[in-house]
Amino acid sequence: MSGAEGLAVLLVVAVCAALMAGYPVALTLGGVSFAFAIIGTLSGIMDFGLLGALPQRIFGVMNNEVLLAIPLFIFMGVMLERSRIAEDLLDTMGRLFGAVRGGLGISVVIVGTLLAAAKGVVGATTVTMGLITLPTMLRHGYNPRLAAGTVAATATLAQVFPPATVLVLLGDQLANAYQQAQLAEGNFAPAAVSVADLFAGAIVPGFALVTLYILYIIARAILRPADAPAIPPDPAAPRGFAMARRLGIVLVAPVALILAVLGSILGGLATPTEAASVGAFGAILLAARRIGLRCPWPIDAAIVALFAMLPLRQFGPVAILPLIAVAVIGAGVALVRVHRDGTLGQVMVKTTQVTSMIFVILIGATMFSLVFRGLGGDDLVYRTLANLPGGTAGAILAVMLAMFLLGFVMDAFEIIFVVVPIVAPVLLRMPGVDPVWLGVLMAVNLQTSYMHPPLGPTLFFLRGVAPPEITTRHIYVGVIPFVLIQLAALVILWFVPGLATALPHALYGR
Amino acid sequence: MASANRIERIASLIDGLNGAIGRGAAWLALAIVLVQFAVVILRYVLGIGSIWLQESILYAHAALFLLAAAWTLQAGGHVRVDVFYSDATPRTKAMIDLAGALLLLLPFTAVLLWFAWPYAARSWAILEHSRETSGLPIVYLLKTLIPLFAVMMALQGIAQAIRALDVLRRP
Repeated sequence: MSGAEGLAVLLVVAVCAALMAGYPVALTLGGVSFAFAIIGTLSGIMDFGLLGALPQRIFGVMNNEVLLAIPLFIFMGVMLERSRIAEDLLDTMGRLFGAVRGGLGISVVIVGTLLAAAKGVVGATTVTMGLITLPTMLRHGYNPRLAAGTVAATATLAQVFPPATVLVLLGDQLANAYQQAQLAEGNFAPAAVSVADLFAGAIVPGFALVTLYILYIIARAILRPADAPAIPPDPAAPRGFAMARRLGIVLVAPVALILAVLGSILGGLATPTEAASVGAFGAILLAARRIGLRCPWPIDAAIVALFAMLPLRQFGPVAILPLIAVAVIGAGVALVRVHRDGTLGQVMVKTTQVTSMIFVILIGATMFSLVFRGLGGDDLVYRTLANLPGGTAGAILAVMLAMFLLGFVMDAFEIIFVVVPIVAPVLLRMPGVDPVWLGVLMAVNLQTSYMHPPLGPTLFFLRGVAPPEITTRHIYVGVIPFVLIQLAALVILWFVPGLATALPHALYGR
Repeated sequence: MASANRIERIASLIDGLNGAIGRGAAWLALAIVLVQFAVVILRYVLGIGSIWLQESILYAHAALFLLAAAWTLQAGGHVRVDVFYSDATPRTKAMIDLAGALLLLLPFTAVLLWFAWPYAARSWAILEHSRETSGLPIVYLLKTLIPLFAVMMALQGIAQAIRALDVLRRP
């Protein structure tokens, strides 16, 4: 190892140490890296001018159309949550399945998955689910460990279930890395990997995880009925047609919206950014409809008009313009409603701050990558990974272990921005490593680390919002079965890459 | 204590300025949703593509995350590794914030400004136009957001340091 590479290793150690102090991650990354750039320049190892690439890199992020999907997805998720649509969903699902043993737990998993998919940010999903679902489950006599474990595990699905924000960012980083890897191999017409590929790749593993969670709850309800009791029927609850109508409103609409967004991306009809805007706009309409239930028709009319546009477009502007007018009026009514209600303001503030948080980390991580490369750190990583015993498998295993441990202290975003650009180009140059498989493996791995005791961040988020009768011990013990499910899933995914690669292959012929 | 009051006023002034800009930028979140949805309708229903409309969304997005960053810092929205921080005393937290602002934030924003200023200036010198012929002719404004981000973050770092010093000075 040369002096420069020694400095690169020291940079990583120093960043990790400084992060533990608790100053915002983005600025710690930028500040510590800058200090090392000065040391490197003064000792003649690094050329300070390399940092001149910084504005150009930031400008690249500002012009990235894929990353534009991030604020749109966050907007959709926060709107569905703040307008209490998610709460309604859980309430109705609970009534539908609650009469069965374990039914409430299963509803929590299903609604939590939808919520996780819509929000794509683990911390936010944990907080919402912890506040809404934990008290309900406890009130109906669920075992506190089972309840806490179910909520913690389901919330982490926000890392892997498309359209997760994590997958958008991971897809973007992997696309760059894959291109670099192929250029390094001398392939100057490189194949591309896209966010849609990663979404498609994550679907089967995502559903497999949800199914395993549900199977576990069913098994538990059968073996130990006292842990997951049935809910006595509520005499005030609507029945028959009234129940079906309520289901149609609270269940079908948001589920259809999320499925439409996902479907149009996977079907190749729309880019993730375009689909996300449809999701966000739809969320505004649904939220406004819930607020103004007494007068839903302007919004219903707008929804019908939007749906009618596609088949009627062949008749030209004469047929379309009235529909657009109806949609614009409905949208106007919807905006006034969500604004007066105060929901819009909250959603805009939350969306803006979360988006800014993510992108400022990206800026700090860009500084880190520049300095790490300037010190020759990427060559060091390449040599180390290439010389590990076990070849490709050994290298991937080492990276997965490192990401797993980093997951205890760092956010998925930070790991994706810092680790992926350094290791992915190396791993993707190795024979037989599929970028989609690698991405899904990374996502499930980070998800597992997120709920792994004693340091998994989800456990802390949940601790913060759980009712007092739930102890830290309940959460730690309760999540263990789910962690075992995760580890089993990782092992299966390792040996059967087809779980991740088959669907994108079938859809896009990759 | 008159000078202490004046310094405290500077911190409040910075908070007010960055807060106002950030809250203004938050409206861009709604603009992005509405304009992007309009683009989708134009493209899929009417078959019209508009490069400048698409570019304006990118501008709004860039302005959203760069101009709201300082306000997000003020509101505590930038994630921290809080394994230790969350349980620390207010004094320890103030010490971390003071050291972080002086040793991490300010140097980082300084180097960013150092390189971003000439980067934006070069764009102003030629009044840079979008690479697309029908794109927006105001790339220099977009590039100016980068040094502006650096300045706003630095100011917020100064406010953070003032507030932390205030906590530390109290007995």
